[in-house]
Amino acid sequence: MSLRSLILLLTAQVSFAAGPISFSKDIQPIFETSCWKCHGASLQMSKLDLRTRDSAIAGGEHGTALVPGKSSESRLFRHVAGQLKPLMPMDGKLTVDQIAAIKQWIDEGAKWDATAPTTTKVSGPSEDMQLPPDARKMWAYQKPVRHVVPKNGEAHPIDAFLAETRNAAGLKAAPQADKLTLVRRAYLDLIGLPPTPEETTRFLSDKSPQAWENLIDRLLASERYGERWGRHWLDVARYADSNGYEHDFDRPNSWRYRDYVIHAFNTDKPYNVFLKEQLAGDELEWVNYETLTATGFLRQHAKVGFREKDNPEFRYEYLDDMIATVSRGILGLTVQCARCHNHKFDPIAQKDYYKLQATLWGAVEVDHPLVPRDQAEAFQKANAAIDAKIKAVKLELANLEQPYKDKLLPAKYAVFPKNIQEAIATPEDKRTPGQALLASQVIRTVTVPSEEIQKIATPEDNAARKKLNAQIRELEKQRPAPIPVAEGITDGDYRFTPDGPGDEPAPGKGVKRAAIEGSYLFQGSGCYQAPPSYFLIRGDVNSHGSEMQPGFVSVVTYGNPPTALPPPDCHTSGRRLALAEWLISPDNPLTARVFVNRVWQNHFGRGIVATVDNFGKMGEKPTHPELLDWLALEFQNRGWSVKQLHRLIMTSKAYQMSSQFADANALAKDPNDLNLWRFRIQRLDAEAIRDNILSVSGALNLEMGGEPVFPKLPEEVLGSMKYGIWNDQEDGPQTWRRSVYVYRKRGLPFPMFEVFDLPDQNISCGVRNISTVPTQALTLMNDAFVIKQAKIFADRVRSAADPIDAAYRLALARPPTSEEHQVAETFLKSNALDALTHVILNLNEFLYVR
Amino acid sequence: MSADSRNFKSRRQFMFESCGGIGGLGLLSLLQQEGLLADSCSANSNASSPYSPKKPHFPPRAKRVISLFMSGGVSHVDTFDPKPALSKYAGQPLTGKGEIVVRQGNPGPLMPAIFSFKKYGQCGMDVSEIFPKIAEHVDDFALLRSVTSLSNDHVQAHYGLSSGVIRMGYPSLGSWVTYGLGAESQNLPAFVVIYDMHGGPFGGPADWSAGFMPAAYQATVFRAAGDPIIDLHPPKEVGASGQRARLDLLGKLNEMDAANYPGNSELSARISSYELAYRMQGCAPEAVDVSRESEPTKKLYGLDNPTTEPFARQCLMARRLVERGVRFVQLYHGGLGVQNVDTWDAHADVRENHGRHAAEVDKPIAGLLTDLKARGMLDDTLVIWHGEFGRMPISQRGVGRDHNPGTMSMWMAGAKIKGGQIIGSSDEFGYKAEEQPISVHDLHATILNLLGLDHTKLTYYFNGRNMRLTDVYGELIPQIATV
Repeated sequence: MSLRSLILLLTAQVSFAAGPISFSKDIQPIFETSCWKCHGASLQMSKLDLRTRDSAIAGGEHGTALVPGKSSESRLFRHVAGQLKPLMPMDGKLTVDQIAAIKQWIDEGAKWDATAPTTTKVSGPSEDMQLPPDARKMWAYQKPVRHVVPKNGEAHPIDAFLAETRNAAGLKAAPQADKLTLVRRAYLDLIGLPPTPEETTRFLSDKSPQAWENLIDRLLASERYGERWGRHWLDVARYADSNGYEHDFDRPNSWRYRDYVIHAFNTDKPYNVFLKEQLAGDELEWVNYETLTATGFLRQHAKVGFREKDNPEFRYEYLDDMIATVSRGILGLTVQCARCHNHKFDPIAQKDYYKLQATLWGAVEVDHPLVPRDQAEAFQKANAAIDAKIKAVKLELANLEQPYKDKLLPAKYAVFPKNIQEAIATPEDKRTPGQALLASQVIRTVTVPSEEIQKIATPEDNAARKKLNAQIRELEKQRPAPIPVAEGITDGDYRFTPDGPGDEPAPGKGVKRAAIEGSYLFQGSGCYQAPPSYFLIRGDVNSHGSEMQPGFVSVVTYGNPPTALPPPDCHTSGRRLALAEWLISPDNPLTARVFVNRVWQNHFGRGIVATVDNFGKMGEKPTHPELLDWLALEFQNRGWSVKQLHRLIMTSKAYQMSSQFADANALAKDPNDLNLWRFRIQRLDAEAIRDNILSVSGALNLEMGGEPVFPKLPEEVLGSMKYGIWNDQEDGPQTWRRSVYVYRKRGLPFPMFEVFDLPDQNISCGVRNISTVPTQALTLMNDAFVIKQAKIFADRVRSAADPIDAAYRLALARPPTSEEHQVAETFLKSNALDALTHVILNLNEFLYVR
Repeated sequence: MSADSRNFKSRRQFMFESCGGIGGLGLLSLLQQEGLLADSCSANSNASSPYSPKKPHFPPRAKRVISLFMSGGVSHVDTFDPKPALSKYAGQPLTGKGEIVVRQGNPGPLMPAIFSFKKYGQCGMDVSEIFPKIAEHVDDFALLRSVTSLSNDHVQAHYGLSSGVIRMGYPSLGSWVTYGLGAESQNLPAFVVIYDMHGGPFGGPADWSAGFMPAAYQATVFRAAGDPIIDLHPPKEVGASGQRARLDLLGKLNEMDAANYPGNSELSARISSYELAYRMQGCAPEAVDVSRESEPTKKLYGLDNPTTEPFARQCLMARRLVERGVRFVQLYHGGLGVQNVDTWDAHADVRENHGRHAAEVDKPIAGLLTDLKARGMLDDTLVIWHGEFGRMPISQRGVGRDHNPGTMSMWMAGAKIKGGQIIGSSDEFGYKAEEQPISVHDLHATILNLLGLDHTKLTYYFNGRNMRLTDVYGELIPQIATV
């Protein structure tokens, strides 16, 4: 409570002490303007209706609102006075006099001398927001326009567009970088690894005019490419291998989605298909293992160990995460700002949010079997049969043991305090209410260990127990080998989701149920119907508005696209497929722009729109809007081919400019290089730093895909987490894999990545932060992994004719200058070779693309 | 950038020698005045150091924070919030409060306080017998009896207390403070966490993460024994002189390279970061080396007693760290070894659990308050004490208590907060906050206020809007905040 409301209360007691309060004269006007909008005819938020004295006394979800004669016990008063939160009314405080009047009125007995208001008098908050007529005026909401490539002597369209703004700003472009810089730039950028000296030589000795194109093609054909650019997308998808939160359960098959992404980039899967598979891989005409695996995209949010069906509030959180990821990651819009109210800056209605929520509402988590249907069914059947047999044996065992348990339990109860023992000893029908609670707490939770039964059971019974237990073990052994599954989603009804491994009952919601109750996946004949979803007033999960139909973000919806495209057998709603089709439609103004901008950012270190996840009003304006449009259309015309987009961008002169160009005029006029007058140097991201160290030392294990690896962690790091897994492996070739294969544990980010600005793994991330902090230096100087790699690196060059030269060529793709060589030689007189290689792994030049 | 001012060795020596003595902002500004930090600190603090000191919005009452988090949930009705009604209605069900939601099993009947209370100090505050030493400081702290928690689940309640949101991915209070104020010292991390010897608290590293902010604002974990930070020292095989030789070569080669990129602040910041790291290697172990303290001080914290020694060490480290310019020290007592035993999570037996843990922290915390006061530091240091939620007034199996997010007791000392006052109250059973309920957002708003920060103005642009620690909530606690 604020000081102001404290004062309010004090004044409240004096200012209305004079005469009695009249409801119709003093109170009803307050109710009309401030209460009945949400607790009246059109709406009863929190199930509270304040139109009559009876309904106010009856109260809502939080209990009675009115205790006549006792304002201090009336929620109505306490909410308006600020003693309870939220402060009511929600759209502004009452005046001191109004609060005082309500207090006095209640204390005088809350006499109600008026009838309930008519329904027409007060209307509730509107769910509808009309788009302002000029809503689409902003560039991002209009479809890209095919601009004519400017004719200014530049051969490459990208250069032609860039030259326009650069010339207008009076800036000179940097000259082309030298070939050694270019080859390293291309390698680090496209595959995230440095060129070997042989690869560098190959490029240098290719004297054809297509040498650069050939290099790009070689790199795009490398499988290392997907590992690098797939990782960029995994940031957007907030990919991880664990659930997060308290128990941080392992997601044993999450890696299949990671491998799907890497493979998609390597095979140049068109971006429109890529999106379709991730959003609706279970609804396509060509459903296959790959597309089912792709649906893991919608399952990448952090997850509490509580069941959604018992905790609908979490359901909304997960949906919100999906909406945020789809809207920011694919559309560059912050739709989730419209969860509780219309978007404050962009013309996005709250209703748009709930249309998207309805679109995704049917989604439930499912482990898609990656074997033919008959095999999967046979597996399930065999497992169910064993479950049934085990259940029967367990029942038999329980019946056999019950008499012994009854005998042993009293001794167990004896350790409890006297009041509990008394409660248990009291016959059930004689227990006081308090005793009943105590007894039930204990009786339900005390167990008898098997060994104790063993001690007192007759030899015959023990033999029988032994036999039954052996039967259970035998049955467990008969379980069929697990089949491979992909952690994905499909349509269903989350209210009937069975308990998966690790699902915990909600707090206070009783014991865990192991059995499937009802069917959460659609299996019947006819068509799947998505469960209803609702508009939530102010985003409150308990305040349902209208039932919502699926739909999209209105301001960027042109025409009348279908909101559901059910497959022929209609086993799903087809809502997600419709969403995907809407996203990749030529009418969608954002999807292609947002993606080409992401690619541009990763090549140049800054997007044409710097806020890559936000193209809305609060985002940055594009530095080159015409170029952005041209690229977006070109990208679509070339069949959404990402590899062609790379080739297009990298063959521009802009991409090949020197980063060392220090033109004083340009530095003064455009220090942030917004006009791209030189190439921007970029620090490697966390994964690339580790990959480069491994690659340069020669230790990198290029095995692709599969289960994640767990590089060794120091004890003290493991000590900070208790739950989830980290299957520590020895520091050796099996963990010297590319960093994209390191286990992503939400609760425990890998320390070396974290120190180099790994983004939070729970939120979709489009731009990684780059910080410069001393702990990065500590890691590269002192970490055992780095020092070990420096030694392996030293061993690699030790027998070379000129180890210094060899080390420079491996790490930096260039020979040392004579000055550098000199300094290194002097250093080696009193230091070992691995000290030099260690220093090289710490060089600024080593950590930067330039 | 003159050749002289970039001279590696002389600068290093000066820094290194001075890090132990004059702490914090004093040193920095002194060096800046002398022009000695011209390129190493000011250059990078302007351009890219996330830790450069920033001005608060208004004059602060506290410059630094020590937060004492009793992980697992302290029972308020057994410690700071006596409820005679519990004795009166002992053994009867708690009725008239709607559905009683407990975390485990089903609700038990009302259970009287396990411990006895006594009045302490000039203010006559009631404190439980298990905190006799802390009780001697009641006139130094304000007690809040109506703080509500956002969840009855440990982890989410931890996230709620640390970030105001029960989800992962949001910056913690310490991150916001570091973001808002920067560091007082460039020789030590700005935000330090020291957790219990039994392991990390519920929620793990996400408790001190920077969420959507740059990773640089997350806490650095200091260990209570051995090297405080991982990778702080070169391995033996490299050794101090080997490392110095490597750093000198690195500096030389990097400087040669930097000539190709004149005026690039990012590259020069990275060069300085190695020198900062080198200084940290010297400063961090010194900062946490409690053996340098006098015998009476060690005794004061309880370092001489095996029961109190572990948390005494944490508290003494905290004092040494804030003394040297660390902005925010977060201590956890209670770690996930064996949950019901090693944390305050007294489901099984309040007497045993709280009795033991109180004995572990009582003297160290009292010692910390005494020490801070004696050094004149309590005036501009904020010390807060709390768990993640309170515990139920009803029993769990006769002797334990379940989680209760409805209300908890916490206290705040220092920062010129008026001591001896009791703010807010819970209902007659201690089940829910009654007078002046205080949310975590109110708490956060108030803590920022004491540090000179307006919680509605301290924003970080993310996700299309200016995010706040307090989101759209947060009202200042008028008895504490500067309003």
